[in-house]
Amino acid sequence: MTQIVETANFVKTRPNSERGLWGALPFGYHGCYLRVDLSEGTGESVSLDGDVLRRFIGGSGLGVYLLLKENAAHAEPLSPEAIIAFVFSPLVGSPLTTSAKFAVVSKSPLTERINDSLASSGFAIAGKKAGCDALVITGRTAEPSILIIDDGQVRIEPAGDSWGATCGEAQRRLQERFPGDWQIAVIGPAGERLVRYATISHDGRHAGRGGSGAVLGSKNIKAIVVRGTQRCQWAKPRELAALAKTISEKSFGPATAKYRELGTATNLLVFNRLKALPTRNFQQGSFESAVDLSPETLSVARERTRAYCVACTIGCEHIYQLTSNTNSSDEPSIPAALDSQPSTLNSTGVRLEYENLFALGPLCGVADPDVVLAASKRCDELGIDTISAGGTIAFAMECAERGLLDASWLRFGDGAALLRCLEEIGRRAGLGDKLAEGSRRLADVIGHDSIAFAPQVKGLEIPGYEPRALQTMALGFAVGSRGADHNRSGAYEVDFSDKVDRRKLTADAAQLAIDTEDKAALIDSLILCKFLRGVFDDFCAESAEMLNLVTGWDTTAAELQQTARRIVTAKKLFNIRAGWTPAEDTLPGRFLDQSLSDDDQAQLSAPQLQSAIERYNLLRGWQADGYLESKNLRALDLFEL
Amino acid sequence: MSIRVELYGIPRSRAGVAEVLLPMNGPTSTLSDVLRELADRFPQLADECIRGGELRSGYTASVGGQRFVSQPDTRLDAGDCLLILSADAGG
Repeated sequence: MTQIVETANFVKTRPNSERGLWGALPFGYHGCYLRVDLSEGTGESVSLDGDVLRRFIGGSGLGVYLLLKENAAHAEPLSPEAIIAFVFSPLVGSPLTTSAKFAVVSKSPLTERINDSLASSGFAIAGKKAGCDALVITGRTAEPSILIIDDGQVRIEPAGDSWGATCGEAQRRLQERFPGDWQIAVIGPAGERLVRYATISHDGRHAGRGGSGAVLGSKNIKAIVVRGTQRCQWAKPRELAALAKTISEKSFGPATAKYRELGTATNLLVFNRLKALPTRNFQQGSFESAVDLSPETLSVARERTRAYCVACTIGCEHIYQLTSNTNSSDEPSIPAALDSQPSTLNSTGVRLEYENLFALGPLCGVADPDVVLAASKRCDELGIDTISAGGTIAFAMECAERGLLDASWLRFGDGAALLRCLEEIGRRAGLGDKLAEGSRRLADVIGHDSIAFAPQVKGLEIPGYEPRALQTMALGFAVGSRGADHNRSGAYEVDFSDKVDRRKLTADAAQLAIDTEDKAALIDSLILCKFLRGVFDDFCAESAEMLNLVTGWDTTAAELQQTARRIVTAKKLFNIRAGWTPAEDTLPGRFLDQSLSDDDQAQLSAPQLQSAIERYNLLRGWQADGYLESKNLRALDLFEL
Repeated sequence: MSIRVELYGIPRSRAGVAEVLLPMNGPTSTLSDVLRELADRFPQLADECIRGGELRSGYTASVGGQRFVSQPDTRLDAGDCLLILSADAGG
């Protein structure tokens, strides 16, 4: 039965006469967010001041503001009281390349800290055209449902046959039910079963890390379906179009050639050569079968096609055809009909990124390309984060080999075991029920100090950058507000330069790590694709130019640098309210008391890391232990939060 | 002397080879010498990645995978292996 939610105070896009600089409503925004309470069945348009928008921009920045404003840090992440925000940005819908992105911001069920995961593409445009700058959801429906936002009007309908379906199949069924210009974001079976690293999928792309899919699943929401007609005006449309054309032309050039021609998977051989490729649960930095898994080899035997996000000129997605029918499990307990469902993108193709490849290949010791591709595809279908899935399974493999876990079938290199684990995670069946909790909680159950080699920071599994081989990145992982993450700290860029000795962390690296973290915060709030960053000579200055043309502001590079610092500090503030302690800012013991087995120069000590962390905190203006002071909040205009 | 050069990603794609052994004059060479030699041998690689004995923006070099280098006068000795790769390791 359809439930029509009363949408109070919902306003159409405000007239241009109300727009201006600080305090007034800027161009590029609607000036409100739509707050939906699923338990109460209410929808409300809540105003956003121009001052707030200028201080937090959009995406991750505006998302953390909204969560702080909603006092979301104290709620249990999978409770009805938890908040999840879908946040757009002033650039969404503009002619700027790669700008069709949205951020999903919530308290993570995996880390119980702030989580902001980003995805592309048409959902962002349609969501913003629905008439709001963000969609904030709380509460829980009584039964599995879909949330429909139709040009600002809200209604809730039963999930119907989309419940239980894989991500791709759910989207296909809902697209039949909502034909035309509706855009749909869905969760898979893993989100329904509250797997703590479940994703939210849209057109085969995922808001992947930290378990936002489980948050939506906990609210009994299978999908959000949006459409709208309300376009924002740009302050200087002609100049904006000219700038967009210039940036697009640059995006066809060498700065993005790697992503366009080869995709991120081409990292594999480089990282393997540098012994920075996490292998067998971070026991080694290189994998003997890396060549077999490399895109250079895969491309020879398999057809490869490219795909684009909406409003993107890069086209980084490389889709590989599966060459054999690799079953996901010998005894699939998910109905067979689900196992045979096509993926969103292509029934026999799978999008391959470096992180999928590393996590489901070398990290688990799996060398068979067909298995790795099938595992990657299965993660997409079930709606689970490939990094956390691979990291948790690799950890379980090591525990099983050490005799700490009663699973004699689970061994490094066993592709069938990998695929079985994924199925069981998706169903929370057998061992999968424990694996669905992530490596930190699994270590808590196993005991025997296994936490020392659980590959996570704050509960978030470490991506494909070996911390001992890339030690500025190690610092970035340790202090990251959402845990170990390469998208919130780009410190690996420093390690891939002559600015540091990548295997010898010093306190001097702290400022370099801060710079990359601030840059990521700005990119994620604008929101632009990080693969575009190479086309800018002066990112902050050029960002200010594009933001001014969109909004009518007079912002500067210096102001945006301050904005980035504000957003990073706001995330820290959220975490402190959620219970953060300085002890969380570290790496598992393995990385601090063992050198890499295949590179004895790759060694990091606890005192080295601690010294760099303290330097990082002090350079941020925080206390040495990472806590904030009132003066920090005042200096960054965060005091009212 | 000779310098072995390993190419990764776009540099490999442009050169069409994964590695090459470059004979160099004298007992030592510089990064600039090696890049000029590479440019002479692989014009398509030069177009995209090398300009005037230096790597273009977006590309980097590492000696043996141990240390990243960018200064044109960086000394390379016999037996050194030079890696040419994308500076952007984002994944």
